Amino acid sequence: MNYRSFFKAEWLSLLRRKQDTLNALLFFVMVIILFPLGVDPSSEFLAPAAGGIIWCATALSVLMAVEGMYKEDFNDGSLEQWLTSGLSITYLVFLKVLVQWLMVIVPLLIVLPLLAQMLFLPFSALWVVMTSILLGTPALFFIGSIGAALTVSLRRGAVLMLLLILPLYIPVIIFATGAVRAAQLDMNYSGQLAILAAISLVALALSPIMAAISIRASVN
Amino acid sequence: MNWTWFHKLGSPKWFYQWASNWGGRCVYLGLALMAIGIIWGLMFAPADYQQGNSFRIIYIHVPVAVLAQSCYLGMGIAGFVALVWQMKLAPVFIKAVAPVGAVMAFIALLSGAIWGKPTWGTWWVWDARLTSVLVLFLLYMGVIAIQNALDDPIFADKAVAVVSLVGVINLPIIKYSVEWWNTLHQPATFKLTEKPSMPMEMWLPLLFSALGLYLFAAGVAMWRMQNEVLLRERKANWVKKEVLNHGV
Repeated sequence: MNYRSFFKAEWLSLLRRKQDTLNALLFFVMVIILFPLGVDPSSEFLAPAAGGIIWCATALSVLMAVEGMYKEDFNDGSLEQWLTSGLSITYLVFLKVLVQWLMVIVPLLIVLPLLAQMLFLPFSALWVVMTSILLGTPALFFIGSIGAALTVSLRRGAVLMLLLILPLYIPVIIFATGAVRAAQLDMNYSGQLAILAAISLVALALSPIMAAISIRASVN
Repeated sequence: MNWTWFHKLGSPKWFYQWASNWGGRCVYLGLALMAIGIIWGLMFAPADYQQGNSFRIIYIHVPVAVLAQSCYLGMGIAGFVALVWQMKLAPVFIKAVAPVGAVMAFIALLSGAIWGKPTWGTWWVWDARLTSVLVLFLLYMGVIAIQNALDDPIFADKAVAVVSLVGVINLPIIKYSVEWWNTLHQPATFKLTEKPSMPMEMWLPLLFSALGLYLFAAGVAMWRMQNEVLLRERKANWVKKEVLNHGV
């Protein structure tokens, strides 16, 4: 096993389990549908709230996707292979998260314009939402991977992982929706996007290390 | 400077003996200081010219809120120590302090709500401080939850250390994100670098009650750590001797 073959194997196994990707996407759509039905379907409510609704749905569906990311590997012994392979676990985690991110975020960005229309989000703000998702979701995935690594050995770890990780998502959600709101008010939003990118970079630098520690502890 | 006292703290046995000397003293001295601070603050300090007597809840609210943050900082440092130097007592510290911190955060929220009602006219606003303390409370709950969920003690120690450390990195981010997002709460009452903005006769009792609460919490943490050390070292000879000689 080397990094290249690992990346390819991860990629292929995700491609062949399309249902998982589809589930995350359907979950995203479902959460978004709940808001107009549950709160108010008028465009006066939805247009200003659309950024927040989309981001909450994104955070939840990312959590759903990330939660089980090591489950299969834990059950079939792949994680032990990671440890004995001599490769850096930190880097393997990084690659795995990268693949996960691509598989969830690309389909999500494809359906986003449609949902944005249903939420009466103005077209000019749609680009900001998409940019904020591109810049902000890496942080969600990397932070989430720590939680997934910590709870992988638990049979019912999903709720625990939600409890651990969701509070850490709050800054990302605040800055992302701040950017969207600023764009809707015709204000400058580059600052919020820059902070989102910064949070993602910090998460990218530190989370794989933490996740690697957690994986080592989980497997032993 | 001589660091042996610090290295000695790595030994559970030495810590146990050290804490049985200091734990009780801290708790009782802390209680006494708190009593002085609170009685002074509630009965003798002058009333605020704007808020009248309702400001007096500050003598509970501020110490508790500051302590809630300090506890988490301490847990983060202990998490780092546990991961890097693998000191035996660091996870014990986290396990002992997490519930204390959670209670402090909860009291801070509660007393803040009670204070908010007469001054702001509402129990709760989605304001920066309130929200970040709420998040702090949730982080504490996460630490406690994962501690309880994992059965393997070695793994649980590692996991708790990771969660505390990640939380402490995120804490300033959360704090500033909500601060820039929305704010109504007044700025910090305690600043080490500046002269206090309130008159001395209001500020001194606050200092007393804050110091008292810190000492009290430190003593309670020592007691809790002693219990945990006894449980973890139950197979060691010194624990057997300790229990036989002094009872539990």
